[in-house]
Amino acid sequence: MEQTNKVPQSRLIATSVLESKDDLNERLEKCYNTVNNILNGLSEREANDALNSYVCRGAPQHEEVQLGLLYSILVDPKAAAKTYRDLSLVSRDALSLVQTRTNQLIFEKWLKLLDNVRSQIIWLCKELIKSGVAGAEVVCHNLLRQIAGGDISPKNVWLTEALLDVLVESRPWLDKFPSLMSNVVFTYLRVIVDHNGQVYANLRQREVDFCISLLREKWSDCQAIGRDLVRLLQNVARIPEFDRLWKDIMLSPSSLSPTFTAGVQQLMQTRTSRKFLITRLTPDMESKLVFLITKVKFGQHKRYQDWFQRQYLSTPESQSLRCDLIRYICAVFHPPNELLCSEIIPRWAVIGWLLTTCTSNVAATNAKLALFYDWLFFDPERDSIMNIEPAILVMFHSIRPHPAITATLLDFLCRIMPNFCLPLQAQVRNGIFTSLKIILEKRVLQSLSPLFDNVKLDTELRNLIRENFSEFCSPEVVKEDVVNNKEVIDLDTDNHLDNNLSDAAFSDEEDDIPLDKIRQDNKFQPIRDTRYQPINLDEYLEQLGGGDIQKYTEELRDEKDQEIQCEVMDRLLQMMLREDEFDQDLAVPLSACLCQILSTQFNNNLFPQELDEESLEESVGSPLYVMFRFLTTIPEEDPNRIPILTLLGEMYTRQARIGYHLLYFIKVGKVNDEKMNTYRDFCKSLDNKDLESCLISDLKLCQEDDVRLFTFLVPDIYTNFSNIAIGNAELLQMIVSAIDGTQLQELICQILQGHLIMFRKDSFLSVLNASLDWETLEQYFLWQLIAAHNIPVDYVMPVLPKLDFTSHAEALSSILVLLKQECPSPDLIRPVLCRECKRTDYFAVSILKYWAQEYEDKLAELILSQVTKLNGTPKKRQRTSSSKKDNVSVEQILGHLDHMRQVCKNISFLNNENIQHALQSVQQSASESLKSKFSDLLALADDIESDYKSTRVLRGLPVRKAASASAAMGLDGRTSRKNNKKNVQEESSSETESSEDEEIKPKAKRRKKVTLSADASSSLPIKPEETSRRDGELIWAEDKFDVAPISGVPEEHIKGRLVRIYVPTKNAMQSGVYGTRRWKIEFDTRERWENPLMGWTSSGDPLSNLNCEFNSKEDAITFVEKNGWKYYVEERKEMKQLRKSYGANFSWNKRTRTSTK
Amino acid sequence: MGESFTPIKDIRQGQKNLNIMFIVLDIGTATKTRDGHDVRSVKVADKTGSINISIWDEVGELLQSGDICRLTKGYANVWKNCLTLYTGKSGEVTKVGEFCMNFSEMPNMSEPKPEFSQQGKVRTI
Repeated sequence: MEQTNKVPQSRLIATSVLESKDDLNERLEKCYNTVNNILNGLSEREANDALNSYVCRGAPQHEEVQLGLLYSILVDPKAAAKTYRDLSLVSRDALSLVQTRTNQLIFEKWLKLLDNVRSQIIWLCKELIKSGVAGAEVVCHNLLRQIAGGDISPKNVWLTEALLDVLVESRPWLDKFPSLMSNVVFTYLRVIVDHNGQVYANLRQREVDFCISLLREKWSDCQAIGRDLVRLLQNVARIPEFDRLWKDIMLSPSSLSPTFTAGVQQLMQTRTSRKFLITRLTPDMESKLVFLITKVKFGQHKRYQDWFQRQYLSTPESQSLRCDLIRYICAVFHPPNELLCSEIIPRWAVIGWLLTTCTSNVAATNAKLALFYDWLFFDPERDSIMNIEPAILVMFHSIRPHPAITATLLDFLCRIMPNFCLPLQAQVRNGIFTSLKIILEKRVLQSLSPLFDNVKLDTELRNLIRENFSEFCSPEVVKEDVVNNKEVIDLDTDNHLDNNLSDAAFSDEEDDIPLDKIRQDNKFQPIRDTRYQPINLDEYLEQLGGGDIQKYTEELRDEKDQEIQCEVMDRLLQMMLREDEFDQDLAVPLSACLCQILSTQFNNNLFPQELDEESLEESVGSPLYVMFRFLTTIPEEDPNRIPILTLLGEMYTRQARIGYHLLYFIKVGKVNDEKMNTYRDFCKSLDNKDLESCLISDLKLCQEDDVRLFTFLVPDIYTNFSNIAIGNAELLQMIVSAIDGTQLQELICQILQGHLIMFRKDSFLSVLNASLDWETLEQYFLWQLIAAHNIPVDYVMPVLPKLDFTSHAEALSSILVLLKQECPSPDLIRPVLCRECKRTDYFAVSILKYWAQEYEDKLAELILSQVTKLNGTPKKRQRTSSSKKDNVSVEQILGHLDHMRQVCKNISFLNNENIQHALQSVQQSASESLKSKFSDLLALADDIESDYKSTRVLRGLPVRKAASASAAMGLDGRTSRKNNKKNVQEESSSETESSEDEEIKPKAKRRKKVTLSADASSSLPIKPEETSRRDGELIWAEDKFDVAPISGVPEEHIKGRLVRIYVPTKNAMQSGVYGTRRWKIEFDTRERWENPLMGWTSSGDPLSNLNCEFNSKEDAITFVEKNGWKYYVEERKEMKQLRKSYGANFSWNKRTRTSTK
Repeated sequence: MGESFTPIKDIRQGQKNLNIMFIVLDIGTATKTRDGHDVRSVKVADKTGSINISIWDEVGELLQSGDICRLTKGYANVWKNCLTLYTGKSGEVTKVGEFCMNFSEMPNMSEPKPEFSQQGKVRTI
């Protein structure tokens, strides 16, 4: 904030509030002041002497004067000439100090230097050259470097022009420094392309003339630049002067220089020295770029790239700079190993960035050329692997994130081989091949196949790559490709598909292939026809007997147009029918001929990719289908059918594909044949085959040829040939073994729409049994189909005993999933429990545990019922029933429960009351051997049992009170339990509602009656078993039926009594609230008197001492209403907690001076 | 250079006389104060972390992202729950270079932290 206004203005560099003068600037200024002090007011001669004497004092003073004079030259153009003279006079080191500082200024501060200082530096440079000072070429070179490529800002253009002036002027001097000279050529050749605007026409012409004169006169020096010279010359080749130069280079290279004999090739084989490539980056660019590739970690590069782009790559003309940057990265900067191992952004990533951000097409092409430039004439002896490494890596690493980059680079690589230079095509190819070989040899990449055979690249490009780099593509791909190509030629079809995405392309890099590509790939599988034996057509033609039939057949053979072919076929068939004696003799050769002629159509990909009306219709447009149509249009009874069927039958023996083609035709050919009767007839006409075997073999063939077609036909087969198809395990396996996800989906859709039914109850089990030996995937597909059919689980269950946990994993897991969706029922649980209990078989455990979570009570009930059933049945009956296969034994149930106990930790299910009861009943009735076998499990029941008893004892207290109270009143509370176990059984039996325990129920009822009658009280419908189940409930009344009239309670104790229903208040002396948890009833007080005998208070009211507790208000009300009493309810009083704070006692509002308590 | 710089990650509320070398990452839009000053909130970072610095007037206009700057005599305080760096009375921000400095945006010391507000309240009582 305070920075403003006090910034000292510098005469050397642009300063601002933000950037003040730097050390060098200040140093120079100080020296200038010193010199000024010395020279102040002195005449020229005196000044010279004074300076000399000052310099004589020593090196520091010498430096001071030198720097002071340098500063003076830079800031004072008018006196510059004189100052320069002074400078050279007093200098004792041949101006080396001055040059060092000048170079430093140019190198470090050029961008900040003020305009007049810049022009003074140019002037100084010119003076240095003029006076032939050693080292002037270094200054010149430094200035050269400041000419930025791709920059047409006025300052840069000015520098270009000013330096050009200097150089043109001092041509003879320049000739003495060949290395500077070649740099000058390199620089100016490079910037000519930037100056293509009309405003720069003059400058460009001068640059062109200058370059041409240097190139032509000093070719031998220039040719040392090497291959990048060719690159630059190519960029300017359209300029007439360079066009002429090119002609000379191509046609008469030796006219340029006697040593230049091999022309372009010679240049291309010379690696360009780094110093040239470095020149094309200004020091500032270089330092930033080097920082980027040596210091910035991968992942943090974004901002740096943005900054760099903002500064150097944002304008349209700056696009040409990308080439220079790429050449620098490839050929100049070779990272050492430690850098390669670090997290620093790799070179390829920077190049990828430069390529992706390129906005101009021309620049992009040039950039790609720059990237591959060292590949073209790569020579492992002279060139470094590091030069070619970035290109391959950028392709390799971009394939996932930016496949477009890889594609465009590969495309470029393929196209540059023939197009770089026509006469040198072979050498370029050789160079690129050598590069690739070296890349593989040095293990830059393990294999090129992820790059060259990647499915992310489009087909055209991959073909191009295979054409060009066949030796680097994996062999099977090449082979496959050849096969495919041959087929493409052979087939000559119109609806043939792209089949370049061959299987072999999926090598190890399969994981990120887009799905749709895979699908596309599956659509076509090259047909290798092994079933059809080609025949010699002529041989059979002769046998046709020369009539019209032969004529038409020949016509058919020679005709290529499909429509005409169809017509000919039609005529042929007509002719055949007219022929009276068309019999076996004629049918055999004719069928042979037709099969041969139509052979392409069988190989052909019949089934269209896009399923719509048009394409389907088109697919049945070939002559073969004319035959089918002919057949279907003839009515069934017509004798004309027979010859056609005979012919087809003959053809069928030669070409089995006719079968499924016919099926397909019937489906799509819009013929009036709903039931596929034609096919039936066709099969019937065959001698030795019945419909079923025919159908199955046709479908098998179809499945092998084209799965999609097969899936397409499946619904119709199942509908029309349901007797054969449904329940046919072979067909089913054919389906599930061939389909993939898409086709499964198609089938399931058909199933859900009701077009396809694949299973029937009677045959379902046999299919299921057959499926157990199938492949995993096949089984899973089957189960998917089963699930789609909504088949009840019951149908599946019978197969369960056959299944082994390890070998039938597919079926068992599918059944598990099915069972999981069901609620346990006796029919489901029985087969599960029936399974033999093995330690390694987790089937039963899993489903039981799952059910135990979801339907705990239900499952427990079911198990209990199973157990009680087994226990309840007398020994004899049990034996007989156990002979039945699917009856469970107690041992199995216990085994599963025990297994569950071991496998699932902390399982609360075993504590479920019903399970406990089951275990207890087992405990009672089971044999000793069983008990000892499951002692652990049964011990669990004991534990719980004892717990249960103790709680009962505690809770029994209020119950007893209530009971005694009601007993006193002649009401029946409940009986206290003497035999706990009996009661437990009783409860369980009355509670379980399943039908199986009919046998036990009456017994329990009987027992209940006995206990009740023992109390000789009325039948108050209190359910003692319920009370024990609901925790803590003391008196339970089911309905509000009024017991008062029949209870025998004296009227005085019913009418006129008022009951208070309340919750006891909390004990004021203690903070516990346990006493307030229950509801109580209390009666209005009746007369009391002092007992004269003892002096105690007596009462004649039996209800005054009644102490009855309820779980809820509602229970109490029900009870009271039932007994016919009036009542009122005192609601529970909720405790209010006051928030108290000790500090509040002292709180005091200062302003109002009141307590804020 | 002899002077030592405080790493950004070590900046704490209330510190004074901070010398920090940082690289400018983002420059916020200027807001005008009542007396006509432009104030920009500038995100800066060094290799230990990033922080927002409040830059006034002309310096803010001249600053570009990617500039490497040196702050002398700065202080850190909380503003709107964010730890923010300020130039002190006799402090200044000077550009010393550009681009060539490693930085890390994490941890961002200027993440808003509600606990700052609580701390503030405690202090005012």
